[in-house]
Amino acid sequence: MRLTRRTRLAGVALIAAASLTLAACGGGSDSEGGGSNDNVITVYGTNPQNPLIPTATNEVGGGDPLNNLFSGLTAYNSDGSIVNEVAESIEPNEDSTVWTIKLKPWKFTDGTDVTSNSFVNAWNYGAKAENKQLNNYFFYPIAGTDDEGYTADGADTISGLKVIDDTSFTITLKSPESDFPLRHGYSAYFPVPDAAYDASGKITKEYGEAPIGNGPYKLTKAGWERNKQISLEPNPDYTGSHKPKNDGLVFKFYAGGGTDAAYTDVQSDNLDVLDQVPPSALTTFESDDQVSAFNEPGSSFSSMTIPERLEHFSGEEGKLRRAAISMAINRPQVTEKIFNNARTPATDFTSPVLDGWTEEVPGNEVLEFNEAEAKKLWAEADAIAPWDGSFQLAYNNDGAGNKEFVDAVTNQIKNVLGIDSSGKVYPTFDELRKEVTDRTIKTAFRTGWQADYPSMLNYLGPIYATGAGSNDGDYSNKAFDKLVSDASAAEGDERYKLISEAQTLLLEDLPAIPLWYQNATAVASKDLKGFEFNWQQKPDYYKLTK
Amino acid sequence: MWWYVGKRLLQAIPVFLGATLILFILLKLRPGDPILNLAGNKPVSQEVRDALAAQYHLDDPLFVQWFQFVKSAITFDFGETFAGQPVFDLIKETFPVTVTLAVMALSIDAILGITLGTIAGLRRNGWFDSSMLVISLAMLAIPIFVLGFVMQLIFGVKLGWTSPTVGSDWTIGDLILPAIVLAIANFAYTIRLTRTSVAENLSADHVRTARAKGLSERMVVRRHVLRNSLVPVVTYIGINLGSLMAGAIITETIFNIPGVGNAAYTAIFKGETSTVVAIVTFMVMVYVLMSLLVDLVYAVLDPRIRYA
Repeated sequence: MRLTRRTRLAGVALIAAASLTLAACGGGSDSEGGGSNDNVITVYGTNPQNPLIPTATNEVGGGDPLNNLFSGLTAYNSDGSIVNEVAESIEPNEDSTVWTIKLKPWKFTDGTDVTSNSFVNAWNYGAKAENKQLNNYFFYPIAGTDDEGYTADGADTISGLKVIDDTSFTITLKSPESDFPLRHGYSAYFPVPDAAYDASGKITKEYGEAPIGNGPYKLTKAGWERNKQISLEPNPDYTGSHKPKNDGLVFKFYAGGGTDAAYTDVQSDNLDVLDQVPPSALTTFESDDQVSAFNEPGSSFSSMTIPERLEHFSGEEGKLRRAAISMAINRPQVTEKIFNNARTPATDFTSPVLDGWTEEVPGNEVLEFNEAEAKKLWAEADAIAPWDGSFQLAYNNDGAGNKEFVDAVTNQIKNVLGIDSSGKVYPTFDELRKEVTDRTIKTAFRTGWQADYPSMLNYLGPIYATGAGSNDGDYSNKAFDKLVSDASAAEGDERYKLISEAQTLLLEDLPAIPLWYQNATAVASKDLKGFEFNWQQKPDYYKLTK
Repeated sequence: MWWYVGKRLLQAIPVFLGATLILFILLKLRPGDPILNLAGNKPVSQEVRDALAAQYHLDDPLFVQWFQFVKSAITFDFGETFAGQPVFDLIKETFPVTVTLAVMALSIDAILGITLGTIAGLRRNGWFDSSMLVISLAMLAIPIFVLGFVMQLIFGVKLGWTSPTVGSDWTIGDLILPAIVLAIANFAYTIRLTRTSVAENLSADHVRTARAKGLSERMVVRRHVLRNSLVPVVTYIGINLGSLMAGAIITETIFNIPGVGNAAYTAIFKGETSTVVAIVTFMVMVYVLMSLLVDLVYAVLDPRIRYA
């Protein structure tokens, strides 16, 4: 059939109409957004990947809002020390294995009381494998859980938790842990109200979308708008230590995590806080007069791991080679040239933001660049068994700066030790981690650690203790294990002395070679006041004003 | 003609099946472990791992997964993202902005490209033609992300004429700058294509005849030269809508546009098979429909083309 003039016109009209309709689809919602209250702070965020349930959220997009919506037994001060929040008191028994908790009178935003059961039920729920919560791992210190933190044998409850009455309960641990209260500011330990559970005892989908908390903020009526933003307003009944100084927070989501777009928004005053500076702006952000810049050493630690199971890296030979490689790396050069001083060369295995950290760990000269010594140690190792092959360092290419630093480090190794050395690329982090986790990786690889709670021990035990969950190099040293468990039970200066001794052991064996501490970098709009990094490399949101 | 349209739409079915199957195979080949990713690299017990795999159909054999997907896709049920949002809602949310952006870019591309290309073709080898050649070469040479960032900096941050980023409360006004950025690379092609096509047609027999009949120059150009020259240009522009939508991801990231490109990118990263397949399938369907539309427009432009 031939198109007549009329059908032709109709066709053109149809196309025009279609494009208009499509255009109209998105235009409408302009009036509702913004809510231009002067003292509401907009901060960078990403769409949460899990329901907003404390035990189900393990990534930063959901974690940041949760930390403002809930209060745990303790709360973190900016410096990483703790104050009691919902807890009236947290008292250990003699060997720090049984902790008795007393609660203050406290309410959820739905008006119900925060009771012992609000905590105990939430933790039981999180630890039960059947519920598929992702923060199970945090419950492993408590008696009645397995090594992964699930309730033993699929039980409904953790046997180490005992409710005494509405305002007190006890927690029994598997082993002594003197800094146990430090954990309780972390989001996995937040309480959950009764309203969250349905008749069968499951936390409902609705709750995961609009959680009722007990923290400094609560969700506004609009709350979590998928792929758009999460809006919080101050909780008027909040009586804790993080009383908001602003009139609310809006976590504005950036599609695909685009920090570049967010940076531009801070420059043009469309966003108040961006808590991670994009790599493209790292050289310039401190001299950019359109933003306020922040750059301090942070709590995440970068290293490279050379597992014992690799050829030439076991026993005495491996020890020598690891030390040689460590001394062949010129850390200050890399942090300055590659990272524009957004990293600080490491002098130990923890982080400078922590209580008790010191630059003076005996044995840390192995982390200094020393060409002659590196060559000497390498030659000694060659005397045990001559080196052959190539030294490769695996990295994931989806993290900014990884390729650059791996190229630099492997070049330094090549030049100093005179061996063939290069990077081995994995496209994404999970591809690299899969091979690391199932132990099929045949090369050294980059590793890192960001603590879950502000304790130096959290940087040591979970990574280097025999059989620990994140012990990627399968390191095992009985003396180290003992020092860590002794330190866990000790207090005050004695504790830091033991930690230092444990680190000295690590510096001899180098189960991971410390590289640098990642700095916390952020930019904020010019008129924002009260910005201060806390130990989690986040601003203390409640202090922000403008 | 309707029979033809119907036939073409029926052809979309094997395209749909084939495309989804290829996508499933490709995503299966992607190394890595979505569950490990989901758990944030913390230890997960085998029990939880199995349960999660079952929830997102990651444990079934490939063909079973594919079959399940097709079966539920018929009822527009594409499952849920890892974040618990129905995939269909995600698509409903993200498609309008991407389509609007693509249509705007396409309009800029078509209107400016055809106009400038025609002028250049009519005055072949004149100063206008030569300068258009240089300009379009320059536009082709600049990568889209350079152009995006530079224009964002100049017009959004320095001059403040428009909001530098779009965000989820988007308006047509916000999209103008990204649409221009998106249009520029294609627009250069359109100029070149129109110019060559027009120049060729100028010396064609039917144009000489039209001139000989004494038609005004305007009539000759509009009725006889341009209309005939547009067939290849329409093909190019039509197919472009698909690539504009799929290729908008860079623009979407620079300007923070919550569109489908970004949604697909995030999903690929997390290994969310069903989300990726659903989104890409929608894009494939857009391609199919656009090429049908292009074929129909041929008939409008050239009466000699008929569909029976």
